[in-house]
Amino acid sequence: MSKVFLGMSGGVDSSVSAVFLKEQGYDVTGVYMKNWSEDLPGMKCPWAEDLADAKRVAVGLDLDFEVWDFEEEYKKRVVDYMLAEFRNGRTPNPDVMCNEQIKFKLFYERAMSRGADYIATGHYARTEGEKLLRAIDENKDQTYFLYRMGLEATTKTLFPVGAMTKPEVKAFAVDRGLDVATKKESMGVCFVGEVGMKDFLSHYIDVAPGEIRDIETDTVLGAHDGAIFYTIGQRHGLYLGGGLPYYVVKKDLAKNIVYVSRNLNDSHLWKERISLESVKLRQAPPEKGIMVRLRHRAPLVPVEFRDSELIFEQPVKCPAAGQSAVLYAGEVCLGGGIVAG
Amino acid sequence: MSIFTPLSGISITVPKLNLIYLDHAAATPLCQPALDAMLPYFQRDFFNPSAPYLPAKHVRLAYEAAKDELAHVIGAKGADLVITSGATESISLAFSVLETVSSPNPTALILATEHAAVLETAKKYSHKKVTVKSDGLIDIEGFKKQLTDEVVLVSVSLANNELGTIQPLAEIAELIRKVRQNRLSRGLKTPLYLHSDASQALSLMDINVARLGVDLLTLNAAKCGGPKGIGALFVGHGIKLKPVTVGGGQERGLRAGTENVPGLVGFSVAAKYAHGHLNSSRKKYQGMAQILRRELAHTSIVAQDDEKVKGNQFPEPIFLGNLKHQLASFVPVCFPGVDAERLIYKLEKEGILVSTGAACAANKGTKSHVLTAIGLSDTEIAGSLRISLGSTNSIEQIEHAAKIIVETVRHEYARALPCKQHIGMKNRDEKNCCFSRGSGATARTSASALQRQALTTRPEKNNNSLSEGESNV
Repeated sequence: MSKVFLGMSGGVDSSVSAVFLKEQGYDVTGVYMKNWSEDLPGMKCPWAEDLADAKRVAVGLDLDFEVWDFEEEYKKRVVDYMLAEFRNGRTPNPDVMCNEQIKFKLFYERAMSRGADYIATGHYARTEGEKLLRAIDENKDQTYFLYRMGLEATTKTLFPVGAMTKPEVKAFAVDRGLDVATKKESMGVCFVGEVGMKDFLSHYIDVAPGEIRDIETDTVLGAHDGAIFYTIGQRHGLYLGGGLPYYVVKKDLAKNIVYVSRNLNDSHLWKERISLESVKLRQAPPEKGIMVRLRHRAPLVPVEFRDSELIFEQPVKCPAAGQSAVLYAGEVCLGGGIVAG
Repeated sequence: MSIFTPLSGISITVPKLNLIYLDHAAATPLCQPALDAMLPYFQRDFFNPSAPYLPAKHVRLAYEAAKDELAHVIGAKGADLVITSGATESISLAFSVLETVSSPNPTALILATEHAAVLETAKKYSHKKVTVKSDGLIDIEGFKKQLTDEVVLVSVSLANNELGTIQPLAEIAELIRKVRQNRLSRGLKTPLYLHSDASQALSLMDINVARLGVDLLTLNAAKCGGPKGIGALFVGHGIKLKPVTVGGGQERGLRAGTENVPGLVGFSVAAKYAHGHLNSSRKKYQGMAQILRRELAHTSIVAQDDEKVKGNQFPEPIFLGNLKHQLASFVPVCFPGVDAERLIYKLEKEGILVSTGAACAANKGTKSHVLTAIGLSDTEIAGSLRISLGSTNSIEQIEHAAKIIVETVRHEYARALPCKQHIGMKNRDEKNCCFSRGSGATARTSASALQRQALTTRPEKNNNSLSEGESNV
C-alpha cells in the first residue's frame, strides 16, 4: 500500500483529495501545516478553525492526522521575504514562495523521511513525471503558484482534484456530506485570510500617509496611507472621486508619492519587453509556441523568451515588479520568473 | 397585562434532540416553562421598565418579581442581585471590588482551576493563584499560607466547569471569617471578601448564600435551562463595586442599560424549576453516570474479536476529579493514549456530542489549564473528555452512547497499536507499549478501582461540604 502524506488545510479541495486517496487504497496521513499561529489585528487564533475542519475530515475517514509545525521556517522563508519585497515597493507573491519553500520542500522532505511514497495537496494542477500540467478546470488552474516546485518533488506529488472542475469537487463534497463543502473560499495569502494584506502590513511595516499625484500635471489629487500598499496598474481603492478611473503608474518610495494617470495607455503601464529575475525553468522552452501568464487567471499571451526576457508582439499591461510570469507550452508549465524592476 | 407569575406545578417538556447531547456544561437548551414565560415580553409586554405609563410599570413589576424569585433560589433578596449580561460580566463586576478599597496593593486570590472568565479578569489586578490537589479540590494548607494581608478578594468557583469538582466553600468561608477577625484584632482595615462562580452548580446544588458564607456569587442562566446572555451577581451588604457600564442608572447604578426583561424572566423560571427538581435531577444523573462509568470500563477488556488486536488489553479509563465531591452530571474521563479530539469528531458522526474541557479553551488549541493543574501528563490531557449530562438525556441514550464510545475508543486503541502490521500477535510487548500510564495521582479513579471501592468501602461522610446531602451531588 503506497504511503501518502496529504497536506490538509480544512478547505474543500484538500478534503475531497483525502476522500479520493483513501478510496483509491492509499495509506493516507492527513497533515495540517501550521505556518502561522500568531494572533493578527482583529483576529484571534486564525488557524484553530481550519485545523479543526481538517482534522474532522481526516478523522471522519479514519485517517491518521498530524500537525506539522513550520512556523519558524515560514516566517523566515515566506513572511520575511514578503515584507522585504513590500518595503522595496514591490508586490510579492507569498503563495508562490510558500509552495516552493514550504509545501514542496520542507513538507515534501519531511514526508519522504517518514517513509512516504508520495505527497499530495488539494491544488488544481496535474503532474506527469517531472512535468507540471495545467488543471482540467482552466478557471481554477493553480500552476501559476506552483511553477517553482522542485522537479524531484513533482515526480512524487499527487494532485487528486487536478483532473476535476471546482463545481465537480463541490458537488462531490456535498454528496459525501463533508461539512467543508460550503466553506468560504480562502482568498489571498493563506494566513492573512480575512484580515487583509493592508492590516497585516501595517502591523509589520512603518508606513506614513502621503500624496497621490497626477503624473502628467503633477497636481495633488488625494492622499494615500502608505505607498507600499499600492501596486502598479491598480485602479481600485484610490478614492479620487468620480469620472474616468485613475491607475497607479509609478511609486516614488523615497518621497512617499503615488503617481496616477487617467491614461490607460500611459507608458508606465504597457511594455513590449519584460525582464525576469530568479528564473526557474522546469524544462528547456521550445523555440515556438510559448505562452505566458502574467497574473493568476489572466489569459495566456504568446511570447518569445530570450535571456530572461519576455518579448511580446504587442505591448502588454505590465504586472508589478515582484509578481510572477509563468511560461507554458500547451498544457505543460515550463517554469517562469519574477518580474524585475 | 401579564404580571410575572411564579412557576407552579408545570410539567416540563424538554426539547427532543435527534442528537445525544453530552455537553450540558457548555450550554443547556432553554426549558419550556422559561420559554413560555419569556415570550410575552418580546412583543406584547415590550415596554421599557423605566417608562412612566402604567403598562411599563407592569413590566417593571414583573422584572422585580422575577428578580425576587431568582434571589429566593439562593436565599437572598431581589435587591441583593445585579443582573448582568452573563457570568463573565458578573465576574468582572465582582472583581471591581478591588478598585474600590483603599488598602495597599489590593490583591485577588483565585483558584488555579478557575474558568477563563476569572483567570483573565484577575490578570487586570494584582493576583495570586492557589493550587489544587490531584483530585481538583483546593489545597487548603496552601490557601491559608497565601491568604496574606493584602488579599481583598478570594474567588473560588463552587463547582469547576471541567471536572465538576465541588469546592468546600463553607470551610473556605470559615477560614476567611477567622482571618477577618484576626485583621480586626490587629487594627488592620483591609477588607476580605469571598466570591464564588456558581455557574455550573446552580442547577444541581442547593445554594444558599448565607450558608455558603459568600459575599459575592456569580450566577449564569445559560447553564441551568435559562436563556443565554443573562447572568447575575449577588452582592452582600455594604460591598462597594465599580459600575461596569454607566448611563441610566439601572441595577443600582452598577450595570446601566435597559433591563433584559425576557432574559431575567426566563432565568428566574429556569433557576426555580431546577431548584425544585434538585433531588430528582441528582438521582437521575447519578444513575446515568454510574452506567457510563461501568460501561466505559469496557474499553480496557482484553480483545477477543479481531485478529489484529487479539490478546491486547487496552488501558483502563481514568475517571477524573474527586468522585465524592463532584456534580452528579459530570463524568470527566481520560482514555490514556487516545486523542480525545479524534473521539469528538468520530462521536459527532454518530450523533453524540461531547467535548474536551471548556469550549473556549478547546477552540484555541491550547491544553486545559484545569487538567494541567491536577497533574495530568500531556498524553493524559490529550486523552480526556468532558461528558456532562443534563435534561435532554435518557437512560437509553446513555446506554447507547456508552456502547458507541467504548467501540470508538477501542477502535482508536487498535489503530494506534505499534505492532498493527504484525497480525496475530498475541501479547503486547510491554516495552513497546504506547499506552504508558502516567504517575498515579490519588484521586484519578481507574475503572477497576471504582468497582473495588464500590464493593469494599462506603463513601465517607464529608464534614467540609456545604450541608447535608451536598456531597456526591
